[in-house]
Amino acid sequence: MNNSLLVVLVANGIGFGTPLLYASLGELLAERSGVLNLGVEGMMLIGAVTGFWTVERFHASTGAALAAAVGVAALAGAATSLIHAFLVITLRASQIVSGLALTIFAGAAGLSSYFGNDFNLGENPARHTFHTVFPASWQRWPIVGPIVFGHNVLVYVSWALVVLVSLYLTRTRLGLNLRAVGDAPAAADAMGINVAAYRYAHVLVGGALAGVAGATFTLAITPQWVDGITGGAGWIAIALVIFAFWRPELCLVGAYFFGALQDLAPELQARGIHLGPTALWTNTLPYLMTIVVLVLVSASSTRRWLGAPAALGTPYVREER
Amino acid sequence: MRGITKQFPGVVANDGVDFEAAPGEVHALLGENGAGKSTLSNILTGLYRPDAGEISLHGERVEFHSPRDALDAGVSMVHQHFRLVERFSVAENVILGDHRREGRAFRLRRRATERRVGELGERYRVAVDPRANVWQLSVGEQQRVEILKALYLDARILILDEPTAVLTPQEAEVLFGTLRELAADGRTIVFISHKLHEVKAVSDRVTVLRAGRTVATVDAAESTPRSLAELMVGRGLGEGVQAEPREPGEAVLALEDVWADGDRGGAAVRGVSLQVRAGEIVAMAGVAGNGQRELAETIAGIRPATKGTVHVAGKTPRSGDPRAAITAGVAYVPEDRLGTGLAPSVSIASNLALKSYRKPPASSGPLLRLGRIREHAVELIKRYRIAAPGPQAPVRLLSGGNLQKVVLAREFSGGPKVLVAASPTRGLDVGAIESVHTYLHEAAANGVGVLLLSEDLDEILTLADRIAVVYEGRIVGETPRAQANVEEIGLQMAGGEDPRRN
Amino acid sequence: MVAVPAASLVFAFFASGLVLLATGHNALSSYRRLFDAAFLNHGALGDTLVSATPLAFTGLAAAAAFRMRLFNIGGEGQLYIGAITAAAAGLYFGGSGGPSAFAIAAMVAAGCAGGAAWALIPGILRAFFRTNEIIVSLMLNYVAGYLLTYLIFNSQSYFRQTTGFNASVFPTSKELPSSAVWPAATVHVHGGVALPLGAGLAVLAAVLLWVLYARTRFGFEATVLGDSPRAARYAGMRTRRKIVAVMAISGAIAGLGGASQDGDFRHTLDADPNGLQRQFYGYSGIVVAALARYNPLAVLLVAFLIGGLQNAGNSLQGPDFPAGLVGVMQGIILFSALGGELLVRYRVRVRRRDRAGAAPAPEAT
Repeated sequence: MNNSLLVVLVANGIGFGTPLLYASLGELLAERSGVLNLGVEGMMLIGAVTGFWTVERFHASTGAALAAAVGVAALAGAATSLIHAFLVITLRASQIVSGLALTIFAGAAGLSSYFGNDFNLGENPARHTFHTVFPASWQRWPIVGPIVFGHNVLVYVSWALVVLVSLYLTRTRLGLNLRAVGDAPAAADAMGINVAAYRYAHVLVGGALAGVAGATFTLAITPQWVDGITGGAGWIAIALVIFAFWRPELCLVGAYFFGALQDLAPELQARGIHLGPTALWTNTLPYLMTIVVLVLVSASSTRRWLGAPAALGTPYVREER
Repeated sequence: MRGITKQFPGVVANDGVDFEAAPGEVHALLGENGAGKSTLSNILTGLYRPDAGEISLHGERVEFHSPRDALDAGVSMVHQHFRLVERFSVAENVILGDHRREGRAFRLRRRATERRVGELGERYRVAVDPRANVWQLSVGEQQRVEILKALYLDARILILDEPTAVLTPQEAEVLFGTLRELAADGRTIVFISHKLHEVKAVSDRVTVLRAGRTVATVDAAESTPRSLAELMVGRGLGEGVQAEPREPGEAVLALEDVWADGDRGGAAVRGVSLQVRAGEIVAMAGVAGNGQRELAETIAGIRPATKGTVHVAGKTPRSGDPRAAITAGVAYVPEDRLGTGLAPSVSIASNLALKSYRKPPASSGPLLRLGRIREHAVELIKRYRIAAPGPQAPVRLLSGGNLQKVVLAREFSGGPKVLVAASPTRGLDVGAIESVHTYLHEAAANGVGVLLLSEDLDEILTLADRIAVVYEGRIVGETPRAQANVEEIGLQMAGGEDPRRN
Repeated sequence: MVAVPAASLVFAFFASGLVLLATGHNALSSYRRLFDAAFLNHGALGDTLVSATPLAFTGLAAAAAFRMRLFNIGGEGQLYIGAITAAAAGLYFGGSGGPSAFAIAAMVAAGCAGGAAWALIPGILRAFFRTNEIIVSLMLNYVAGYLLTYLIFNSQSYFRQTTGFNASVFPTSKELPSSAVWPAATVHVHGGVALPLGAGLAVLAAVLLWVLYARTRFGFEATVLGDSPRAARYAGMRTRRKIVAVMAISGAIAGLGGASQDGDFRHTLDADPNGLQRQFYGYSGIVVAALARYNPLAVLLVAFLIGGLQNAGNSLQGPDFPAGLVGVMQGIILFSALGGELLVRYRVRVRRRDRAGAAPAPEAT
């Protein structure tokens, strides 16, 4: 029963969806502060390559090396997002163009590729990788086994993160302030809240999470560095935030849904079920589904966009001091 | 505040201003638009830093580096454009921010806050439901939330910027009662306004600003509206804009049971029937948010009518089609000049051609005739005396009054049959206001039917031939100017309920 | 006007130099080699034109859309689809002999049509369903890429070569018949440089686009719509139709770039994942457009410069020359252009205060 299509899809969906979850949570926080960061794909790749590099070069026990790698990936992601934050918050540049520039700069055929090539990272698989946490016997339990106990620590941390972010937004004063910054920065400013500080902080955290998301690829999913390994996941994460009404719980649902989608075609193929030009389907399904979901979400009602932070995408200018 | 000077490039907003107010007093800050009142209050609330001068509170020198400093010092302001988060509840808006009162409390204590908000509301007659979402509240109620924000922080100095602009006369009286109570508590109330009767009604002392300088500080009791006006403007006042009597002609605008939806679903305009005749100025009085904007948009074709019809000069342009309305002869001066009526980064010349570019002489076939457009712009700039760097400059460089002139120039030059003007004089100084009033009279004299939407009763009483009152999307009263009664109009604007009775 | 982009370039070179130094490369010699490979070496100019031509197309495509605040990121995919449809036309209408005007015209038309159709997907979704065109157009890039690869590598499609020794070993796509190969003019400078037909078409497209935006009613409406959708609606402009039209134009130009790839340079449908799809012409086009401040004529110049950069990157790529440098530099160029843009705007804000007679009121910028 643990080999049934549904169980496998859900279990693998969780695994594949974890980078999407990290990245979308990060983007959610940034967008809640009113800043759109389209550079997620680039930041993920930076995180992926720096995490991989750390694991190769940092000679320590598996646990320590992996922890360091994740830390480095987070830092690298945050550092990359700092460029965007500076351009967009302090210089008030167009958030869209800046985000695109970030992806070009850091993405495939950009800085991440540069590092990968320069340090010859593509040659070997990762020296240390994340393994499942729970004993194998637990993983054999019907249904719950693979779905709940079959994952590595990154997955479990992401679950905790969803809870944390959700509590942060709804129950804390900082979270209230953040929501005000994203919805009505003028009101927040008049109440003494430092709009720029909140925006910087959350964009950087978003970058850090994107970096971790990227590291998930090179340290857990396909423990190897390949140029452009994320394959557009960053963009799907951005779409996810919209799909999730800017709410963390729905990010989790959406991330695992898309994760499962990515696994759908290969699983069907493995079971001998053919859907026509399988190769084409296999590769394009996640992207097509993103479009479909996005259309449904946007067309349903204006109310959906009322879920967006009202000041998203607009720079905040307070008249001169 | 002593010797406050604040300069922006090209403009000295405050030039050595002295201002002082005592505890327990309601002190009015009077001046026309552009005199420097907003700048001064922004300095006092920490939004701006003065170039020179100092501020002392209770005898001690203070310096504000940010709004938070001012809030912590007990200075709060109720802005003219509310600084509220519409999505939040009243309670959430009130406790927003990091305040020394709350410490840096991490968790939100919802119930305690709601209780306190309720208490304060009761005490000072500014009650609102703490759990309601702000976007659901009326404008008057939203203002109360702003006041509650200040009270929650126990503000000792409360500044209100043009608070009655959005209130009916009766609501204004309730507000004055609240202010007097707060003053009786020992707080200092600074009341910024350009409305002379109110200033006299509620304040103890009045400081008049003109062109960035303090002109005088007088006792309210010893002044008359006329003496205050002369201090404010600095010259003997004329009688205002006089119009020649006009004979209205045929109906150029006829609304038949028009219904239209608002932005959040639900009907904003509910069965409005009205006629405007050629050469007539009909004013619609009403507090903001009662469907005026939606009605104006429906007439201009920007918003589709869900029921009923709009007739313009005998024709019926297709509903929800701005181009049809324009072709039928509807000119619309929207309230939001720079957001709707003009394209900010586009040149003045192009903005002036915004409605005429489709036809000759502005274009021939698919091609634009840029030379002609430019010439036309130069002509209009001269005729309307628009102060501009040149016709190719982006329109957002202009000041408020000049922006409005651009819009008016464009709308008039199209030879319209109907002119809908929404709050056309908002935020303008006296000179600009006079110009606008003159143009409106001119339009009417030329046979245009003018529909004026305004919150300013004084303006309506000056301009209108007929006054209709709108409340909750319906017309609740219609009177010719000669028989208009301010008290009654005020009651109608509030839906017939006298808020003083609470 | 020119100062900002020029300064951005200088700054970008400087900043990229720092990156090079930080990773242990000799910045100056890398730059020297870059410049030589781009312009000075024998045949470099011609190669640069080869890189610049597609960039001109994708740059124009991006400029056409971005000017109206339509963020068409799908130039990459629209180029691929244009390549596919143009190849189909070329294979179908082409024959033996010298370049045939008819076959070439068919390819041009097909390329434009394919690109336009692909761009209409995000266009229509945006116009009528308010769907975010950035994500839709971007997703379609990936779809187009996979489709392109599929046509040769995973299927027995029309495009696939089925006979011949090579074809039985490795999936190949058919060669375009000789009458569908686009001609090139020879310019006698620097030892003879080939000017591809595509380059000429790009210049023509740039001029037409410039006229469209600067001198026609269509362009006027697009400018106003890009600046303020509310003002556009207020003035009675047909917003949705405009969005669809501009996206179609943008896609058509990108598709033409794809046709040029087939006809001018590759003479076949290049479906190799390491070939056309590794050039990222579409994304580079966005950089070109931004640097050119969305002015079609400036796009041509910038495309040439960036083409030089791309050419150099390609020809120098190897273990001792940092790969990914091109992307890094382009990113930095774009960042500097963005940063520089603000200086211009800041100056404008200061001037505004001079003009304003009244005290500045709180106004959303």
